[in-house]
Amino acid sequence: MSWSLLFFLLVGAVSLAAALGVVTSRQPVHSALFLLTNFATLAVLYITLDAQFLAAAQVIVYAGGIVILILFVIMLIGGDTNDFSAAQRAWSRTVGMALGIILLLVISYSALSRMMAPSEDTAALLQGGTPEAVGIELFTKYILPFELVALLLLVALIGALVLGRQQEGASEGIPSVKANE
Amino acid sequence: MLELAWLILVFPALGALVNLFVGDRLGERGIHVVASGMVVLSFVVSLGLFFGLAGLDEHHRTATVHLWDWITVGSFHAPAALLIDPLSVTMALVVTGVGALIHIYAGGYMHGEQNFQRFFVYLNFFILAMLVLILSNNFVGMFVGWEGVGLASYLLIGFYFDRHDESYGHYADAGKKAFLVNRIGDFGMLLAVFLIWTSVGSVVFEEVHHGAGALTAGAATAICLLLLLAATGKSAQLPLFVWLPDAMAGPTPVSALIHAATMVTAGIYMVARTHFLWELAPVAGGLAAWVGGLTALMAATIALTQVDLKKILAYSTISQLGYMMLGVGVGAYAFAIFHLVTHAFFKALLFLAAGNVMHGLPGGELDIRKMGNLRAKMPTTFWLFLIGASALAGLPIFSGFFSKDGILLHVANFNIPLYLIGLFTALLTAIYSFRAVFMAFLGEARDQHVHDHAHESPAVMTRPLWVLAFLAVVGGALNLPVLLTMEHYLEAAVGAPAFHPNVTMEFVLLAVSAVVAVAGVGLAYGRYVKGPSTGVGRISGGVARLVSPLELVARNKWYVDEFYAAWIVGPLLGLSVWFNQVVDQGVVDRAVNLVGQVSLSLGGNLRKMHNGLVPTYALSLFCGVVALLLWFVIGG
Amino acid sequence: MDTALLFDNAVVLLPELVLAVGVMVLMMVDIGRRGQNGSQLLAGLSVAILLLGIGASVMIWGRAPVEYLDGAISDGFALSVRLVILIAGVLGVLLSRNWFPAIERQGGAFYSLHLLAVIGMMLMGTATNLIVLFIALEIFSLALYILSGFYRENARSIEAAMKYFLLGAFASTFFVYGCALLYGAGGSSKFTQIHETLATGGGNPSLVLPGIALLLVGFGFKVSLVPFHMWTPDVYQGAPTPVTAFMSVGTKAAAFAGFFRLMMTALPSFHDQWAMPLAILAVLTMTVGNLTALRQSSVKRMLAYSGIAHAGNILIALVAGTAAASSAAAFYLFAYAFMNIGAFTVTIALERQYGNENDVEQSRLAGAAERFPVLAAAMAIFMLSLSGIPPLAGFFGKFLVFKAAVEAGWAWLVVIGVLNSAVSAYYYLRIVVAMYFQQPEQAGDEKEQPFVPASRSSVFVVVVSVLAVVVIGLQPGLWADLLRGLGQ
Repeated sequence: MSWSLLFFLLVGAVSLAAALGVVTSRQPVHSALFLLTNFATLAVLYITLDAQFLAAAQVIVYAGGIVILILFVIMLIGGDTNDFSAAQRAWSRTVGMALGIILLLVISYSALSRMMAPSEDTAALLQGGTPEAVGIELFTKYILPFELVALLLLVALIGALVLGRQQEGASEGIPSVKANE
Repeated sequence: MLELAWLILVFPALGALVNLFVGDRLGERGIHVVASGMVVLSFVVSLGLFFGLAGLDEHHRTATVHLWDWITVGSFHAPAALLIDPLSVTMALVVTGVGALIHIYAGGYMHGEQNFQRFFVYLNFFILAMLVLILSNNFVGMFVGWEGVGLASYLLIGFYFDRHDESYGHYADAGKKAFLVNRIGDFGMLLAVFLIWTSVGSVVFEEVHHGAGALTAGAATAICLLLLLAATGKSAQLPLFVWLPDAMAGPTPVSALIHAATMVTAGIYMVARTHFLWELAPVAGGLAAWVGGLTALMAATIALTQVDLKKILAYSTISQLGYMMLGVGVGAYAFAIFHLVTHAFFKALLFLAAGNVMHGLPGGELDIRKMGNLRAKMPTTFWLFLIGASALAGLPIFSGFFSKDGILLHVANFNIPLYLIGLFTALLTAIYSFRAVFMAFLGEARDQHVHDHAHESPAVMTRPLWVLAFLAVVGGALNLPVLLTMEHYLEAAVGAPAFHPNVTMEFVLLAVSAVVAVAGVGLAYGRYVKGPSTGVGRISGGVARLVSPLELVARNKWYVDEFYAAWIVGPLLGLSVWFNQVVDQGVVDRAVNLVGQVSLSLGGNLRKMHNGLVPTYALSLFCGVVALLLWFVIGG
Repeated sequence: MDTALLFDNAVVLLPELVLAVGVMVLMMVDIGRRGQNGSQLLAGLSVAILLLGIGASVMIWGRAPVEYLDGAISDGFALSVRLVILIAGVLGVLLSRNWFPAIERQGGAFYSLHLLAVIGMMLMGTATNLIVLFIALEIFSLALYILSGFYRENARSIEAAMKYFLLGAFASTFFVYGCALLYGAGGSSKFTQIHETLATGGGNPSLVLPGIALLLVGFGFKVSLVPFHMWTPDVYQGAPTPVTAFMSVGTKAAAFAGFFRLMMTALPSFHDQWAMPLAILAVLTMTVGNLTALRQSSVKRMLAYSGIAHAGNILIALVAGTAAASSAAAFYLFAYAFMNIGAFTVTIALERQYGNENDVEQSRLAGAAERFPVLAAAMAIFMLSLSGIPPLAGFFGKFLVFKAAVEAGWAWLVVIGVLNSAVSAYYYLRIVVAMYFQQPEQAGDEKEQPFVPASRSSVFVVVVSVLAVVVIGLQPGLWADLLRGLGQ
């Protein structure tokens, strides 16, 4: 067993454990921290695949941005517990878990059983992970999607604006819900 | 002249539009004049077409009037074009001729009704749709008319939508029933059109006719079976006849025009129009004959037990349509169309006469048990009804005698059991039609109140009937035995029959039919006038006992409605309830209610809503994911 | 790379570009506007921009199809779908005008999101690349999530948005997973490239089928196929009715366009494998949609289930998978746009009569024909068209789809489809029956309510839709010629 494989298994195991932690821990803060761990280990895995740019993006955007945002929200609304779906949802949790396991098995079966080795030159493929290579690809071959993402961000921006704007009227913050609802 | 054929469609369309938009300014009289006038004009055009065709060479009496290219998609082409041939012209003459008389009559009948304007708009629209049906030169155009007449019939059956009684239930439901049952027939029609297109490559009648030789027997049979389904829906045959009796909830002129004389014969027309397909599918033809024969018999037995005058006529219509179906089934297309024409005359006459009875009795009474001796109060109507009933019963000289006998003649050649069924039905027909005459117009007045208030109808409601009565008497002359004028005329459109009876057989069967009809009238006379104790009465009593086991079944309309309710409508509604309660209310509504309670504190209360339903939906989605994936990976 | 490449063939995306520039202008105008009346101006501006978009589409109509930057194409199919979406967009904007107070305050945001949603939908029809496809999907989905929650005074609207967003995100994850698997299978994100690689025996064919399955989930969610349909009635009912009207047509057109192009250009060689599962989904969708619609009391919910059933009908065209079938689907969507938006417009007008409830119960329609003869007549036409009565537009949509399927050898599927449309007549007809053949229960107080005149723009929408439904029905050939399928 090579060192790189051992390293992969180790980091992968941490990553999986952290992911499990996200969904099983009862404290939202714990979940967020597990998520952070998960993102970090993924970044490490990206580096082992020579995807340096992706790893950096992972750390900056996900670990640095998104998880921090999540932590802010949890602190603001007071995350005592996330145990919304206790007893009465037990069956759906079981069913969901069972389905998830089936999904995993089926996909790994179909992906692994008849997977062929990549025919292309692996060395050339590995070059794809550097910031320079990503940049060139992004601004030549994938320029159209890149531009379109700008539109997507615009939608998100306007959406955030709409959602974040306080309602007008006397009852700031409390929506004037009709009594019949 | 033939190029002007499009005018025949323009007039009723114009009538409907004028009455729709400016009808409220025209007043009753104006509306009536416009609506009837337009149909009369259409009738004039039809006459023009008839003479135009007559001027053509006998064997090429067919013309196509191209209006515009309607649909062209890839190789699929359906023009908006009219096919003018003896068959369509005959139908157009009946529709516009009988239609015009009924329009005129309806002016008196509907006098003072709240929705007078709406009624005539619908009626003109019906004429338009019916003409589209019979004049289109392709299946798609015919289907448009087919649906159009269905829509018109639905609107007119539900005309008295606010009424409700024990005979029809909610009147609006009767319309809905008619529409939905017809949709089952339409389903057959649409599939047949697809099948014709894929197997022949055209939907134009002429091209299909020429290309039909390429059809395999299996394809032809499948097409014809689907067409038969369509015909059983529109022409109220087994097993889809249940809507027609309920359709009598509409105003009587509608019953006369749509549900007796014209629309219901569309199925027969369609089979005659596609005769070239049926000749390739003897199995389907045989099935059509049996469907027709059994429908005729069954409806006749039911008609014997009904007490509502209009329902008697409704079942008799089903029964007569059965004869026509029997006729087309055995390949006697010309005779079926002949019977269609004479039936249009005498059945319209009977319905309108029944309308006069209804109009003249207090409360629109239709129960023949409460009538009796109406002859004294409404002599004109009595004579009119008597003429109609004689034609229906097939008494010699009257038109129904010749047309019905023509069909039976061909049936006798085709299959003896079917002939006997037809003959027995003819006996029943004579009995029930004269039962109605005797119980309503002769004998003692059974309900003095009804009798005292009875009165004759105004002239506008009797004069058009004399025209129909005249036609009902002499209509047989259109196709007298041996001369066979009409049969030869229709040959250009429906082909010559394969079977030519010899004259001896023809007259023997004519005599048999005549005897049967007279015997039927005699039996009815014995039972309903003389009473059971007399000699004739005893014979008819014996016959009655003979068929008494049938009577209970027949009185309950052979339980067909109940069968449908239990086996088709029930399960379907059950399934719908299940979907609604389990999927929608069980999961969704309960969740929505939960959210409703929560939403007062909606501000930051996302989590409870989350608890409410999204997981359930997500779970359903997830199940779909896994199922699909399993299918693809394991199945593929 | 040469910068000229960016501009070569950029005309392919001309309508999208026009709209994108329009969004910018709209936002500038919004910043500059003063007072409350500005939102009328914004509505007018949006309509103008959308009409310009239609003009741009017409301008590039009939050109030889070229691909732009390996990610977008403007062939006849893309243009047909664009036309449907732009029409839905125009009608949707016209309906939104004056509809709810939030528009007065946040008109700029509302109309820009509306236009952005239109851009995203149009891109779905043009995308020839998995990445572009996914981004397009997200653009319009995100915009619609927010639009459906725009009626913030109404709890149901917020609930609908939340539900739509969560489930949409859930479905999107499967979609993107499917994209990844397909990329892994074909070694490219380009549809045609994937097809070539797989057809010549390269790539990883074992990844294709799971990839299709997961992509199906994403599309199935958007067009609301059973069992991915659960959100539809809630969202349709909760969202502001003008948004529902636009969404019901636009989403369906966009997602089906992407779906058709993906399946027919990237995966035609796997037709044998995916046709049967899709056929079964179509049967399920039609049957569940129609049967559940039978029991709905709310008009909007009924229309939602009817929309599900219609999605099943269109799916039949995809199962057939021929060029003729795709043009039939384009025709179907074109006809559906008018009849469905028309039905929703009448619903909006009736909502106003019954006091702005963002929904109408069917029982309240009783006797509507007496009180609002014109609205009732229009509604009757839309219902008849939706149920497929000839010669209205809806009939020919169904007719062409079924015809194409029969030609492709899917007769049994067509039999089920035709049976289903017979069932559907029941609930469409019930609306007509209620309006024409029933008396209002409490006639007294219904009559006392004053008649609220419908806004001019919604009257316009109704008139246009009625005319379209009738004209398309009388001259279907013209439109069927105009609307092209894939590879035509």
